[in-house]
Parts: sequence; C-alpha cells; structure tokens
Amino acid sequence: MIRRLSAAVLAALVVLSLLPGLAGAQGASPASSAEQVRAALVQAQLDLARNPAAAQAALDHARATFDVQLAPQLEAAQITPAFAQAQQALEAGSAAEFAAARAQIWTGMLAASYAKTEAALAQGDAATAQAWLPLREFRHATRFSRPDADATKAVVALARAEITPEQAVLALRADLLDTYQARQTEALHDLQIAEGQSFGSRRAEAVGLSVGYFAILAPAYAEQRGQPALTEAEQAFAALQRAATPEASTAAQAHIEQVLQGFRAAPLGAAEQERRAGQMLRFLSLVPVEYSRGVSGQNVTKDLEIREAVTFRDGAAAAFNDLRTLLDERDPALAKQAAQSFATLEQMLTNASQRTNVPAAGQVQQATDNLLATLGQVMPDAWQQRSSAGDFDVIDAMLDQMQAAVAAGQYDLAESARLEAYAILESGPEAKLVVFAPQMKAPIEQLFWFGDGDTKGLAGLIEATAPASEIAAARTALNAQLAEAKVAIGGQNAPVAVATNAAIIVFREGLEAVLILASLMGSLKSAEMRRYRTPMWVGAAAALGFSALTWLMSRSILNALLAFGINAEVLEVYVSLLAIGVLLLITNWFFHQVYWTGWMASFHQQKKRLTGGEASKWLGLALLGFSSIYREGFETVLFMQALVLESTTAVVLGGVAVGLLATLAIGIVVFFVQAKLPHKKMLIVTGIMICAVLVQMVGKTVHVTQVIGWLPTHPIRWLADLLPYWTGMWFGLYATWEGLLMQFASAAFVIGSYVLAERQKHKKIETAVAQPRGVPSKA
Amino acid sequence: MRRLLPLTLFSAVLLNACAAQPAAAPTAAPSVPAASSTTTDLSSLKTYLLANIGELKTSSAQLVAASNQYYDLAKASGFDYDDLWSSEQQAVLNAVEVGRAAWMQASPGYEQIEGLVAGVPSLAEYDVILDAGTSAAEGGDGVVPFDLSLADGRTLQKPGNLFGISERALWGTDPELTAPIQADFNRNGTIEFGEALPEANVLLSSATALDRYVGELQTAAQAWQPNESDAFTALVVMVPTMNEYFDSWKNSRFVAGEASTQRDFVAISRLADIQDILSGLEVVYDGVSPLVASVDSVQSQQIDQDLTSLKTFVADVHAKEQAGQQFTAEDADLLGSEAQNRATAITGQLSQVAAALDVEIQE
Repeated sequence: MIRRLSAAVLAALVVLSLLPGLAGAQGASPASSAEQVRAALVQAQLDLARNPAAAQAALDHARATFDVQLAPQLEAAQITPAFAQAQQALEAGSAAEFAAARAQIWTGMLAASYAKTEAALAQGDAATAQAWLPLREFRHATRFSRPDADATKAVVALARAEITPEQAVLALRADLLDTYQARQTEALHDLQIAEGQSFGSRRAEAVGLSVGYFAILAPAYAEQRGQPALTEAEQAFAALQRAATPEASTAAQAHIEQVLQGFRAAPLGAAEQERRAGQMLRFLSLVPVEYSRGVSGQNVTKDLEIREAVTFRDGAAAAFNDLRTLLDERDPALAKQAAQSFATLEQMLTNASQRTNVPAAGQVQQATDNLLATLGQVMPDAWQQRSSAGDFDVIDAMLDQMQAAVAAGQYDLAESARLEAYAILESGPEAKLVVFAPQMKAPIEQLFWFGDGDTKGLAGLIEATAPASEIAAARTALNAQLAEAKVAIGGQNAPVAVATNAAIIVFREGLEAVLILASLMGSLKSAEMRRYRTPMWVGAAAALGFSALTWLMSRSILNALLAFGINAEVLEVYVSLLAIGVLLLITNWFFHQVYWTGWMASFHQQKKRLTGGEASKWLGLALLGFSSIYREGFETVLFMQALVLESTTAVVLGGVAVGLLATLAIGIVVFFVQAKLPHKKMLIVTGIMICAVLVQMVGKTVHVTQVIGWLPTHPIRWLADLLPYWTGMWFGLYATWEGLLMQFASAAFVIGSYVLAERQKHKKIETAVAQPRGVPSKA
Repeated sequence: MRRLLPLTLFSAVLLNACAAQPAAAPTAAPSVPAASSTTTDLSSLKTYLLANIGELKTSSAQLVAASNQYYDLAKASGFDYDDLWSSEQQAVLNAVEVGRAAWMQASPGYEQIEGLVAGVPSLAEYDVILDAGTSAAEGGDGVVPFDLSLADGRTLQKPGNLFGISERALWGTDPELTAPIQADFNRNGTIEFGEALPEANVLLSSATALDRYVGELQTAAQAWQPNESDAFTALVVMVPTMNEYFDSWKNSRFVAGEASTQRDFVAISRLADIQDILSGLEVVYDGVSPLVASVDSVQSQQIDQDLTSLKTFVADVHAKEQAGQQFTAEDADLLGSEAQNRATAITGQLSQVAAALDVEIQE
C-alpha cells in the first residue's frame, strides 16, 4: 500500500515538475503536441534496454504532454489505457509490448484528430478543422510521389464558402482514408519484413499500427461491407495481435489479406475512375511505341526510350492498382489475368533495362495488345471512352519526357516527345478547344511550335538546342494555357448568366403565384368572405417555407448522389433534361392556355367548394393557398437544382434573391397598392424570357453531354471563328452541329406550339362566328 | 438592474469558459492563405550551390591528380600489381592515401548540395551521374546514362554512379575494380577492410569522369535561375529520402560489420551524409521561409524547427556511433523508421504550404 502511494506521489511530483514547461507549451498546436508525445515515446523505446531511467523520464514526459495538452480536447478513452500498458511494459523491460502500446497511442491520437476534424467540417466549422487537421499522417512520399493537399485545400475552400460542409467532409475522407489505408498496407508489409528478420519489437509495432489504422478505416469498411464483415475483419486483426507463433501470425495475415481483398476505404468517384482508366489505356498504348524506338532486333539501342517505356508501364500499373478493386468486382479472373500480364510486361522491360534476354519489339507489342484486350473485356464501357482529362494527363507526361530528354542533352528525343504530346492534343482535346474555347487554340499552338514575338515555342527552342531553363520556362507557360483550356473545355457558365436565369425563373414563377393568389383573394370580396383570406395567406406562407425545405432536401439528395460516386456532369445532364422537359411542357401549356386558364378554373372551383360548406373551411382554404403556391415553388426548386449543377449555390441564390425581390415588389403593388397591372402582357414577356432560358439550357446540356462523351462533337469550324467566346458562356451557343440543331429543335417546338395554339384559337373563333346563334357548338 | 445581473453573470461565465479553453483552441476565423505576390529572393541558393561546387571541383581535381600519379606508377610496372606493390610500396600508399583523402573531401562536399542538385529538375541528371545512379546490371529507373571508357580500351557499360565506382576502387570493395593482389597496408599479417589496391585504369577513368561532370554541373548551376517551384521541389523530393539513407546505413559495415556485403558507402557513414544533405536543405528552406511565413508564420517556424530537430536526431545517433555504440539492425530499423516519419511529416507540411501558395511541385 505504502509502495503504491509512494509511486503515486512520485508520479504526481514528476507531472508537477513538468507542468511549468507544459504550461509554457500550451500555445502549441495539437499537431505539435502530438509530435512531442510521439517523439518522446520513440526516445523511451530507444532508451528502454540501455537506460531505463531515461526511458521512464521520456514516458512521463509523453504522458504529461498528452494529459495536459491533448486529453482535455480529445476522445481519450482508447489512448489512456495504452499509456498504462506502456508503463507496465517499461517496468517489465519488454520492448515489444512497449512498441505495441506506442503504436496504439499514436494511432489513437490520429483517430481522435480525424474524428474531431470531420465533425468540425460537418458543422461548417473551418477554424476547428484547420486547428486539428495537421494532426495527421501523410502517404510516405518518395522521389516520385508527393503528399496530397486535398484536405487542406478543402478546409480553406470551406472557410471561403466556396464549397459546402458535405463537400469538405468528402474531400477530407478521400484524402485521409486513402492515406491511412496506404499506411496500413505499409504496416502489414513492414510486419512481414520484421518477422523475416526476427525483429520482435518492430513486429509488435507493425501489428499495433496495422490494428490502429484499421480502427480508423472501420466505419468505411462497415459502410461498404456491413457489420458482420467488419466483425470478421476485427477478429482477424485481434488474432494477429494474439499470434504467439510464426504459424499463427502467417494464418492471421492470410485472413487479413482475404478480408481486405478489394476494399478501398476512399472509393474513387466515377469521374476519377474514368480518368484513371483513360490514363491506363493511353500509357499502355505508348509502351510498345517507346520500346520499338529503343531496340533493334534483340539489342537495346537507346536507353532513354526503354526508360520511357518503363515509366509508361509503371504509370499504367499504378492506375490499374487503383482500379483493381472495381475490376475484381466485375470479373476477378480477368482482373487477375490483367495483373499477371502487367507483371509479364514488367519483366520484359526489366530484361531490356538489364540487357539480358532483350525481347524484340514485336513481343512487347504482342504482350501489350494481349493486356489491352483483357482490360477491354473487364472494363466498363464508360471507362473505355476517351476523356479530355485523360488526354491532358498524357500530354503532361509526354512533356515531362521531353524535359527529361533535354536535361540529358538528347534533343532529338525531346522533339519526338514534344510531337507525341502535340499529336495527342490534335487527336483529342483540339476539336473541343476549337468549339468551346477557340481563343485558347492559337496561344497553345504557338507554345507548342515556334512562338509568337517574344514568346518562344518548344519546337523552336528544341531546334535551337536551347538551355533546359528556357525550355522549362516555355513549358511553364504552356502548362498555364493547358490548365485554362482544360477548365474551358470542362464548361463553365458565366455566373451572371446563371444568376440572371435564376432571377427570370423565380420572377416568372413568382408572378404566376402572385396572380393566382390575387385572383383567389379578389373573389373573396364581400365582408363576409374576406375573413377567409387569412387561411389562404397562411397556406401561401407555409408553401414558401416548404419550398425552402424542398430546396434543402433536394440539395441533400444531390450531394448524396455525388457522394455515392455519380459524376457531377452526369447528374447535371439528368437534372437539366428533367428541367428542360418541364419547361417544354409549361411553354406548351401556356400557349394552349391549359396552364393558366385550366389551373385558375380549377383553383376557383376548389375555392367555391370550400367556401360553400362550413366544415373545415379554414383548413381547406389554407390548403388551397398552400397548393397554389407550392406548385410554383416546387417547379422553381427543380430548375434551380439544374442551375446549381451548372454553377455554384451562391451564384444561384443571388439570382433567386433578385427574382424574389422583383416578385415581392409586384406582390406589394398588387395586394397593398391594389394597382391594376397589365397581367397578360407581363406573362407574355416573361414567357418569352423563359423560352430564351430554355434555349440556353438546351445548349448547355448538349455541351455537358458532349464533355462526358455521351454525344459526339462535330465542330462547325467556320462558325467557330465567327462566334465570340462569350456566346457559349452566356447563351449556351457553341459551334457544334449537335448543339445548334438541338437548340433549333427546342426553339422550333416552342414556336410550333405557339403557332398551333394560335391556329386552333382562330379556328375556334371562326367556328363560333360562323355558328348561328342558339345552335349549340359541337366542341 | 436585476435583469442586468444574470446577463452580467452569464457573460462572466462565458468569458471564463473561453479563457479556460486550451491555448491551442482555434480562433473564430480560420486563416485563409492567399497566394503571395511577394517575390522571394533565392539568389542565396545559387550562391551556396556555386560556392560548394567550386570546392567540390578542387577536391575532384585533387582526386584526378592522385589517380594520375597512381596510374603512372602502375603503367611503369606494366600493370603488374605484384611488382608494383613490391617495388613502389610507399609511393603507391601515398598515392592511394592522397586519393582517398581527396575523395573523403569531395563526397561530403557533394552531399551538402545533393538536396539541390537532385531536387532541381534541370540539375537532377547530375545527381544520377555523380552519386545516385545505378548500374545497368542493377536496373531500375535510375540507371546512369553514360558508359565509362578506360585507358586500356575497355568500356564499362553503364557502371553506376561515379562516386560509387571510385569508392569501390579506392577501398577495394569490388573485386572487378580492384587490383588482383593482397596488399597488407600496415603489415600486420591480416588483410583488413580497405587494404586493397585500386585497378588503375578504373580509378583514373572514374576520377576523370567525376571531375568532368562536376565541371558540367558547375556550368549548369551557373545557368540555373532559382525559383520558388525549384526550391519547394528540392525540399519535397529530398527530405523524404531518409529511409533510403538509413537502409544503406543499416546494411553498411557501420551496422552490419564484417557481415556487410554493401560495396558503396563504406568510407563515410551514411549518418554523416544525411546531416550534410539536411544542411543543404536547411539553406534551401531558409530561402523560402519568408514566403512560407507570409502566409503562416507559425507553420514556417514549425517546419524550420522540425528540420533542425531531424538533423539533431541524426547527429545524436551519429555521435553515439562515433563514441563506439554498436547499433543492432533492429535499432537501425527503428531509427530509420523514426527519421522517415519525421521527414514525412515535414514533407507533408511543405506540400500543404506549396498548395496554399499555388507553387508547383515539379514531377
């Protein structure tokens, strides 16, 4: 008892002695504090065998730092017991147990920080997220790969209100879950190495880390595979922790490999899948091209070409690994066959690099063709369509090769790589560039070729064997142009155009709502009936609230669909098609007067029925007010979703605000000033404006459909030279046959509907005039 | 007044609660970095690089002189190394010792600029040639781009980097680059590590090529215009290479002892190399730190501190090694893993800052 008390007093004294220092460090960031804990624990591990007193001091420092600086702000339930385990391990002199506890403490802090950051982002609290996000790990960087900054960028974007909290959370998950899964894979790999070398404490650390990382990934695992699968996976990891013999450890690792097979914690979105697939196919197709230039028969003639072939194979293999899970789901046998073909190709290229059994160019071509055929069988159709994003990636890779060749003084090879990059531009994105961003075509071509004035082009510089620095400068300028072109081809609307469209739609729908209400209210004129106006006002107000609620719900549904991996452009096409369908229907009804007179008659009939009886009058009239306004609100929300997908929520809401203000002004004039407005003329004018919005929406939808490859792009080159760039951004006018024909068809539909309606009206009048009085019409 | 009292109390409680928050709690408004428009003066990087290459050139020229001297001696004895060793022992020892001393001067000199040379795309090829490239036999994507022509007419096809070849020849770790005799330097009856004579053709050709490429590097460095992208790329490329160095340390004779089969990095502990590389990277970071501080001064200090801490960590291990502490392979593994974790954390921070500054990290 006394011993225990003494130990407790001693521990308290140690903590107290550390407090001044810790207090001084209270301004430290969570990441900095966690780093202190981690470093102190490593020091304790290093000192454990040779200097237990120093190890104890280091552990005490880690514990005190955690208790004072982190525990009050974190979920510490998983971490605190690990400190006790570390203390026991230290007292027992067990380096392995200490290493396991150390791994548990570290991954516990990572998990707690991740949870805290995610919760903060979900609540839109960028400040808290910014404070905690740095307490994280990164993918181990190499000479050839860089850590991502996606989560950091997302937090900054949230702080600037450029993205929603949901989008920020998705970016965080994609970045961190991907990182921790990569670290888990490394930990399991390190475990095998440690076991191979009989490193006991390294093994224990690797096991602890792999278990800790899996705890972070567990919610994603359960979400994808269900709770029973998660329980099995956790049991597999628990078995690994318990494994006391090499056989038990091997069995547990095999089980873990099996349960993790095909799991990807941060699944690639549809767009990223297509992009990676595009890279894989293009990179693979370049392998035999490069290889054939580097060999003559079975002799290597140009090493650089072989190295380029290796680089392209590696790039394709990296993309394949990212897609492997999805391919396994489609056809595991074919996916395995593709993996084996990748390995075969790698071996062939390695042989060439080492100049042993150098395969002939035809053999590499055959192996690549076989691999491409296998991939063609297993990949979904959408992945096999050529995308602009993939083209730009390959152009980038080819320009990298060009610079590498320049650095090696091999200007002929640099020219060859430059030409390949240009050929990819010409055969892919160029056609879209001509149509969607014609003003960017000339600067890009100049930078690829011989420049213009002071601007130097790559072809000219390579021809003149210019220094690498000059070529790098031209490349940087070209990169900037290509980045702009990529965005332009992707299709962005002018924000003012989107806001104007939003304002027109809101004003038009609002005007209809005001007129319906005014008409209904106007028919409740008598002193006895006026009291029934109140429930209608209440219903109308409720409809406005429900419209707002519908907006929020539809945003959530769309965000959920995006999170589910549906491509934003694909979603935009679907929602836009729906909106276009409704717009066509409305304009048709409008011209045939079904819309207006039919609805008005229906509302008046309902009103009559309700005011005729005594029962539930109040509720019935409230419902009438609600339904007459909510119908307009629902339509408006639908159109606004299409616009949000074209631009941003803020831009659309700006337009909505303007439209609402205009509607409010009309409402005040109608209801309070009770002025007589030219209702019919106003409806006609706004109807024409809606038709213009329809034609613009059709143009934009065709454009997006072309961007995602669902519609072909046939440019009208002579028109592309005449049409200014802004006509696309403002009016959805692009010089493609598909776009213009569809816009023409939609305009023809609207005008045709109008002409038909007018003809029917005239016919009706003529019939009425020709009919003698007293004879009932047949119609 | 009564109404004011609860309000005042509530405010006081609220203020107290705020004050009780840990100091690390975030401020209400997150800091939103904006791409800095300030132009960073990176001329100090070029000055540092050129000064070090100047010293390296002096050392490589000394190595060529010693190799020439040794070659002349070998040639005079008709490349009969038994005869050479028996007839010119002292002159041979002198030439080898001078050559080794020059190499020991040149290699750390290069390590101090390797971070820049390897990290700057326009100079990176020289790192492959001088210090990092593999041989064709080893393969991989870092095979050296040159063949080595020897004075006797032979050609070594893509033999690996020049510091490596000259080191193997000078310290006799590769029989193919070493004279086929046993030379007991200290005449104690035992052939110990380093007691071997270089193959004169290989030594002279590798030293001459080393000196020539250092000259080319000097010219390329003079043409180099440092920019922010180069500086960040150098840091992000080179800081996370710690595990490569610790791995080669673990496999070297400094840890594995006589059981080591590693032929390179035998003369100088890789721990010394790491410190030299980090010294160079500290200079690079000093160049861009004002830019980092312009968007986040705390982050800037943190990176600076972490770099220093990493270097101190390695220096501490090196000091223990020099004091005679024998590290086990498992120790080396843990130390390498720790160094790599620290390096990855630094690289992560640098990448986030580069993204915030919109500075391109080059491939």
